[in-house]
Amino acid sequence: MNETFELQAKIIKINGILLCILIVGSFIFFEEPLSFVYGLIFGGLIGILNFIQLAKTMEKAVRMNPAGAQAYASINYFIRFAIMAVVLIVSLKADYINALATVIGLLSIKFIILVTNLFNDKEYYKNIFKRKEV
Amino acid sequence: MEPITGRALILACSAIGAGLAMIAGIGPGIGQGYAAGKGAEGVGRQPEAQGDIVRTMLLGAAVAETTGIYGLIVALILLFANPLIGLL
Repeated sequence: MNETFELQAKIIKINGILLCILIVGSFIFFEEPLSFVYGLIFGGLIGILNFIQLAKTMEKAVRMNPAGAQAYASINYFIRFAIMAVVLIVSLKADYINALATVIGLLSIKFIILVTNLFNDKEYYKNIFKRKEV
Repeated sequence: MEPITGRALILACSAIGAGLAMIAGIGPGIGQGYAAGKGAEGVGRQPEAQGDIVRTMLLGAAVAETTGIYGLIVALILLFANPLIGLL
């Protein structure tokens, strides 16, 4: 049933480690790190929840008919987009949350996906320099 | 009629810019829907490959969303934390 559980668990685990490193780093490098830490936790948790919701959407969409899947995936994307908008507005309005940290937390999971699934593949780098006509 | 102040002009242009930046949020929605539709077609044609299709689609969709978030961030910064007003 849940085909993506292992992939989700792996990515969320790495994201948690990255967030922990960033939080510890902010305690070391900033004089008043609390707002940055709040932002990282807020953004990171919403990013993880968004990713889980995306996985659920994709698992359900592939079982639908193509037209239904198209509408379902698009509607769910805009719901997630609205949630992200609310999160960003809250972090911009609230003084005790650093907006930049929220953005970093929200985008950290995308960065993890790129690093663990694309940039770790040697073929990706080879294909950049490979001549297309050969 | 009162003359237009620099601050009012910046705010008006920022609002227009924020609206234009939000257009970036539409693209990933359409693209993700299109990918989901094609994924459903693929699973219908080859049901045993469902796991691979869903995993690949999940990673692609998660990365594709990023550009929409960038547009959202630009729009919200222009609206709620405009750095240009401080330059006046």
